[in-house]
Amino acid sequence: MMSTRALHSLGSPMRKTLYSPSLARNQSLIRIRTTLAKRTVQTESLPASASVDILNKQRLLRPSSPHFTIYQPQLTWLASIANRATGGALSALLYGFSLAYLVAPGTFDSVHVVEFVAGLPDAAKYAGKALLAAPFAFHGLNGIRHLSWDMGKFMSLKGVYQTGYAVLAGTAVSTAVLVFL
Amino acid sequence: MSLLSRRLPRLARQFSSSAARCLATPVADKPVLNKEFKIYRWNPDEPATKPTLQSYTIDLNQTGPMILDALIKIKNEVDPTLTFRRSCREGICGSCAMNIDGQNTLACLCRIDRNEAKDTKIYPLPHMYVVKDLVPDLTLFYKQYKSIKPYLQNPNPPADGTEFLQSPEDRKKLDGMYECILCACCSTSCPSYWWNQDEYLGPATLMQAYRWIADSRDTHTAERKEVLQNEMSLYRCHTIFNCSRTCPKGLNPALAIARIKMELAAD
Amino acid sequence: MASSLLASSSKRALARRGPAFAKTLLVSRPATTQSDALYVPGGPVYKGTVNDPTTFPTPSRAHTHHWSFERLLSASLIPLTGAAFATSPSVHPVLDGILGVSLVVHSHIGFDSMVVDYLHPRKFPVLGRVATWTLRTATVGVLLGVYQFNTNDIGLTELIGKVWAA
Repeated sequence: MMSTRALHSLGSPMRKTLYSPSLARNQSLIRIRTTLAKRTVQTESLPASASVDILNKQRLLRPSSPHFTIYQPQLTWLASIANRATGGALSALLYGFSLAYLVAPGTFDSVHVVEFVAGLPDAAKYAGKALLAAPFAFHGLNGIRHLSWDMGKFMSLKGVYQTGYAVLAGTAVSTAVLVFL
Repeated sequence: MSLLSRRLPRLARQFSSSAARCLATPVADKPVLNKEFKIYRWNPDEPATKPTLQSYTIDLNQTGPMILDALIKIKNEVDPTLTFRRSCREGICGSCAMNIDGQNTLACLCRIDRNEAKDTKIYPLPHMYVVKDLVPDLTLFYKQYKSIKPYLQNPNPPADGTEFLQSPEDRKKLDGMYECILCACCSTSCPSYWWNQDEYLGPATLMQAYRWIADSRDTHTAERKEVLQNEMSLYRCHTIFNCSRTCPKGLNPALAIARIKMELAAD
Repeated sequence: MASSLLASSSKRALARRGPAFAKTLLVSRPATTQSDALYVPGGPVYKGTVNDPTTFPTPSRAHTHHWSFERLLSASLIPLTGAAFATSPSVHPVLDGILGVSLVVHSHIGFDSMVVDYLHPRKFPVLGRVATWTLRTATVGVLLGVYQFNTNDIGLTELIGKVWAA
């Protein structure tokens, strides 16, 4: 900041000299010498360690660049976040039901649960089954994909995409099979 | 710049980077192919102003084929305040790493999409602190690279004073790893690195960690492996594969990380 | 829209809010400590100078064992699930019990990994610890619930089978 300001004050006579017609250049060169001699520049003496403070002050102002909102949707990271989301959703269901049974075993026993599901309209039954089967199929198949990576299989970019599409196709088929079981 | 070009038209023309003007014999006029570039801008001199996307339209028929050519043309002819890093313009220095149309790559290796109906968006590398415009702060990235001791550690050099010898098979293990130019495209494409970059090393640094673990001449393999065995440094990798997908050099950091995990589990 | 996308995440904005400068400016200390006082995990100020390497947490083989155990457990869930649904759970209550416990442990590891990724206590000292302990308590409760359901009721496998047929 300081140095830019200093440059500006230095700049104007310099510029005048540069851009003035060649005849007048000698004259203005004399003028610039005198101005430079007279010019008082505000300087502040700082120890070398002050550079860290100046840098840190700048750092604290820096914005963080945008990330997942601007990153191209790719099979790689979408499949990964889907793996986490499906697993999380199924686990949340398991946690929710088990805790509910622990707290109120009379309300959430198998008889009541099965009765409740049996009372639903067919459309809701199929929708609910699809909503459970799709995450289960995806998480299971993608889990196998992850396990094979952990054993060093399909670790090329080609392998990643082939197995990725295979998992998606497998999920579609398994979901259909499970829903109409 | 505007002042300079008004006063010194000849100078301004010399700095111009339009292809046709540089040629001794003018080429036949090509039709104008205007393309819009939307570029992330943030100026540290006005820190309170939020980052914005600034639009620039240039004639692709007066521009080189790569994104870096477009950036240099914009800087030379339209807006000299546009700030970005560049050096070799041939994909070996790693300076011009940035996010182009949603993918991390090197501007000098990325062709301009000649579809004029679609704009091209250019951002700095994702989830990094921005120094200015397209320039991210890579300090932490370099500090992490330093932490894995990226140099040969062997206290017993050959008695005859010559170099360490290595079999062709052992040398082959380093292929696909030593070529890394540390452009940070992979690390900044990794969601795990986005959320935990202060502790997780990220794909670029981990691949270099394995490059030295795999080196038959290095004697500190055990120490190199030991430091990685904590919750954050290595095991934040969830095999997402954004790193290998985005590497502008076609390397496979995910494979190197998987090998570290397998070797650690087998030890 | 664009500006909201460009704006830094609130998590980082919080991280940037370091302790006051006053203390560091009054006392002249070596360069490293000046930065260390402002250091916030994930913030724009780094520990030490630009030439100091980052440091590693204390290493432990436990983390590698944790990784291996997680893979073994995940892998064993595949045949376990198949076997539990292929056989009658009333005949093999032990199998149903093993499946239930394995699923809970697998879920716990998954949730825990989310807490470490998104709500680590080093960044979220209160929320992170609350999340960790809520998860631990919940897992204990869930294990109890699964035990109760598998002993007093029909068990998880048969419940899913009956709901599917309902």
